[in-house]
Amino acid sequence: MELHGKWSWALHYFLLAVFVIFALFPLFWLLKVSITPNDLLYGEGVRLWPSRSTFEHYASVIAHSQFPLFFRNSVIVAATTAIFSTLLATAAGYGFSRFQFRGKYWIVGLMLVTQMFPLVMIIAPIFRLLKPLGLTNSLTGLVIVYTAFNVPFASFLMQSFFDAIPKDLEEAAMLDGANRFAAFRRIIVPLTLPGLAATLGFVFTAAWSELLFALMLNSSSATSTFPVGLLAFVSKFSVDFGQMMAAGVLALLPVCIFFVFIQRYLVQGLTAGAVKG
Amino acid sequence: MTAQARPMQRRAIWRRAYWRRTALAAEPYLYTLPSVLLLCAVMLVPLVIGLTYAFHDVRLLDPMSGDFIGLEHFRELYADPAFWNALRNTVTWTVASVTLQFGLGLILALLLNRLFPGRALVQLLVFLPWAIPSFLSGLNWAWLFNPVVGPLPYWLKALGVMAAADNLLSHPRHALWGPIIANVWWGIPFFAITLLAALQSIPVDIYEAAAIDGAGPWVRFRRITLPFLAPTMAITILLRTVWIANFADLIVIMTKGGPADSTQILSSYIFTQAFQRLDFGYASAVATVLLALLLAYAMALMVLRAVLMRRS
Amino acid sequence: MLKPLLFAACLIAQQSRADTTLKLVEVLTSPERTETLQTLVKAFEMQNPGTHVEITSLAWSSAFEKFATMVSAGDTPDVVEMPDRWLSLYAKNGNLENLEPYLAQWSETKDLSDRALEIARAVDNTAYHLPYGLYLRALFYNKILFKQAGIAAPPKTMDEFRDAAKKISALPGKSGYCLRGGPGGLNAWIMFGAAMAGNNIFFKPDGSSTLSDPGWIMGTAWMVNLYKDGLAPRDSVNWGFNEIVAGFYSGTCAMLDQDSDALIAIAERMKPDQYGVAPFPKGPSGKAFPTVGYAGWSIFKSSLHKDLDWKLVKALDDPAANLIWNKRVGALPIYKSAAQAPFYSSEQLKGWFQELSDPDEVPTLMPTNLPGFAYFADSLVVRTSQQALLGQISPADMNKQWAAYLTKAKQKQLSGK
Repeated sequence: MELHGKWSWALHYFLLAVFVIFALFPLFWLLKVSITPNDLLYGEGVRLWPSRSTFEHYASVIAHSQFPLFFRNSVIVAATTAIFSTLLATAAGYGFSRFQFRGKYWIVGLMLVTQMFPLVMIIAPIFRLLKPLGLTNSLTGLVIVYTAFNVPFASFLMQSFFDAIPKDLEEAAMLDGANRFAAFRRIIVPLTLPGLAATLGFVFTAAWSELLFALMLNSSSATSTFPVGLLAFVSKFSVDFGQMMAAGVLALLPVCIFFVFIQRYLVQGLTAGAVKG
Repeated sequence: MTAQARPMQRRAIWRRAYWRRTALAAEPYLYTLPSVLLLCAVMLVPLVIGLTYAFHDVRLLDPMSGDFIGLEHFRELYADPAFWNALRNTVTWTVASVTLQFGLGLILALLLNRLFPGRALVQLLVFLPWAIPSFLSGLNWAWLFNPVVGPLPYWLKALGVMAAADNLLSHPRHALWGPIIANVWWGIPFFAITLLAALQSIPVDIYEAAAIDGAGPWVRFRRITLPFLAPTMAITILLRTVWIANFADLIVIMTKGGPADSTQILSSYIFTQAFQRLDFGYASAVATVLLALLLAYAMALMVLRAVLMRRS
Repeated sequence: MLKPLLFAACLIAQQSRADTTLKLVEVLTSPERTETLQTLVKAFEMQNPGTHVEITSLAWSSAFEKFATMVSAGDTPDVVEMPDRWLSLYAKNGNLENLEPYLAQWSETKDLSDRALEIARAVDNTAYHLPYGLYLRALFYNKILFKQAGIAAPPKTMDEFRDAAKKISALPGKSGYCLRGGPGGLNAWIMFGAAMAGNNIFFKPDGSSTLSDPGWIMGTAWMVNLYKDGLAPRDSVNWGFNEIVAGFYSGTCAMLDQDSDALIAIAERMKPDQYGVAPFPKGPSGKAFPTVGYAGWSIFKSSLHKDLDWKLVKALDDPAANLIWNKRVGALPIYKSAAQAPFYSSEQLKGWFQELSDPDEVPTLMPTNLPGFAYFADSLVVRTSQQALLGQISPADMNKQWAAYLTKAKQKQLSGK
């Protein structure tokens, strides 16, 4: 979309600035609280920057809490979930995109319905399901549940990427004697590499910040993820805001790194899809 | 020998073709099977169990409970003013959140659609809110709105939006806007990224041709951009609406449903009924109603989309 | 032939003894508490070689939901920390072991104070838990604000309280009372209501609630007027724990009613010359009724090692351990002999001991063993009290709703369920 002229660029940058400030201000506040010493936390709460700053909260989080362990767990769970979800969603998305088959709309409906029921109501049945299998208090159980929850959205996303690639490509390959799966693997998938990156990104972020299942299914600190660790800063009589915000800021780092890594593919990636839904 | 061989050959060919046809017919199922299996095992079974609670008198931790009581919960629900209040709030919450997230997300996507120096950095920065866990985001925003420790009440007063530097979250009429603003902050990146991608796939020549034909920016937007975006819009709005309707985290953390239930939505009401009144049966009944409403909405949206696509 | 068999049998017996793991769940979790618990547990493990205790610490804000989900799925612990609000639920559902036989044989039982025994037997007059401490409400006040407003001493009566609040609210940007209008505020309503009514009787002999009596209504109306007359901050209608302490720490409001365990958090954030603790102000009848909460240790009936569990409970809760524990958690002791401990005559805890020794300060147990009490306290009271504060309903209406709910619950309890 081309708009010409200095005024349009001025407006453009102005609006962008507004968005960036809106996005960053609460994060700035997180940062500010994380470097405020405890005794100034309530007295100087309203100031834009405390009169005295400290890194003691970061030191506590890194050295004296179990956060390194929680981060490690979160990275493992989020990355594994992202990979498995994307694998399953690629297959399912391809199926939705290329075929019309009996039961297709039932399956789509199933995927939608699982997103519509409040998680609070199915926590107890899921717990009861996983306990005898030894999957409670384990990172594996968490990965399984997260994958199940993310597959619907990821599938619809991958479907739209596949929709943008003309069917003739596989047909040509199949005429040459390859079977569909080989065509799929060798031709189609490389074209949607960007789309894969996008799906990985969304699922990673979703799994990274998920709290409810991580809290309810796992009890030991060895299997707790970072959002659960954050909750531990809230005890009956105090909320350790300083440390909690410090942990929150630290947690942004892995996500930033991941996002920077997939960024190149991200925009191009979703590009290829979503034209024909 | 040849006379005998031919029927055998024919049968062999026929058998191969039969297997081929079956394999072909089975293909889609093979692609979708792993997902379906996982979903059925992990989500469908608990979902069905959760739904059955709605028709039984299930009380948490009471091993004696669980009798079948049919539609009793639904009758109770129909007469429950707290339910209708929560339903109204849910509609306000969902419509406001989705509209603002979508609208602002679209604007942001349009802005990011033009190439400019530093675009990659800006993309990263506006994506960050999405990476904050909702619980931390809720606490952070509650902190921001609290005049004891946060700046927003003073700014709102200075801007003339509020008469005094009070906590927005304590005003029964306007408290819901606190969580809505927090929700919008958190959700804009989702729409921005997905719509940006869709925008980037629109061939530039179409715009150029339209511009040559004398179409102004607004007309180009309406006639070219929107129709191309329609499919993405449909799926993202559908999914976001469903998620937001069920998303009570921010409300529970920022206002706990108050004051006087003015920010209670169905999802938080379900949580209260389940874990405070310990009445899982009633909670499930409310959840079932929510599910039915969302399904109806989804179907309406599908129909709308089909109609629009046929027209374009 | 017999000797190697016997030897093997001994080995196996040794092995099985060495492999005992007890699951201990704590719910009022905080990092320092967990450390103290681990110390006590280590001492126990050393006294009982071959036993290992696995501690699970649940975050308090979600402990109830989490624990309930675990128990309903069969993931039960051996020993669990049992707050007063949960006791009735788990005891009535048959989850908890009856501790009377153990108490009968224990040498320290006679040192337990009468109140402690009363609390232990709160449900069905049977000991389903061994309490570790009492949490008594008192009045925290901001010494600096008091001096600024020219108030010499903390208020002793409700009238003095209102006066003090008025004087402090006259200071720019300050308020007298940190009102808890949101979740958890029930205790204050009960304390002021009872003080006005002159008694802390919740139910008449026939099981109907006294809360709709004129005295109680006067009490809640008094509190509503505090808010309406601007003696509490405007936002306090929705204040929960975080907000009231934020208000107190920042000097925005001058008076706060809280339990002794809040002292630890407050002491970390304010200097001793900034705050003080006073007994709860008395009503027109000359009496005050500070609420008392409690928590203790329970053994789950499903446990396979009940004798060992009792040993663990004793290790956590005998007079020596109890002192260490209560120093950390800030609860008041359950043993008669503990009152002499030097720790309890410190400046800060003086306020509570003053309360305990004053016959006109009557510690009041909340009816937490009523079925449906949690919903009452966390949902019904929150909603109706906020409506009353905002002027949407009258205090009389609010009390009537409370009385109706409690009467129903009480009668359900009396009829045996």
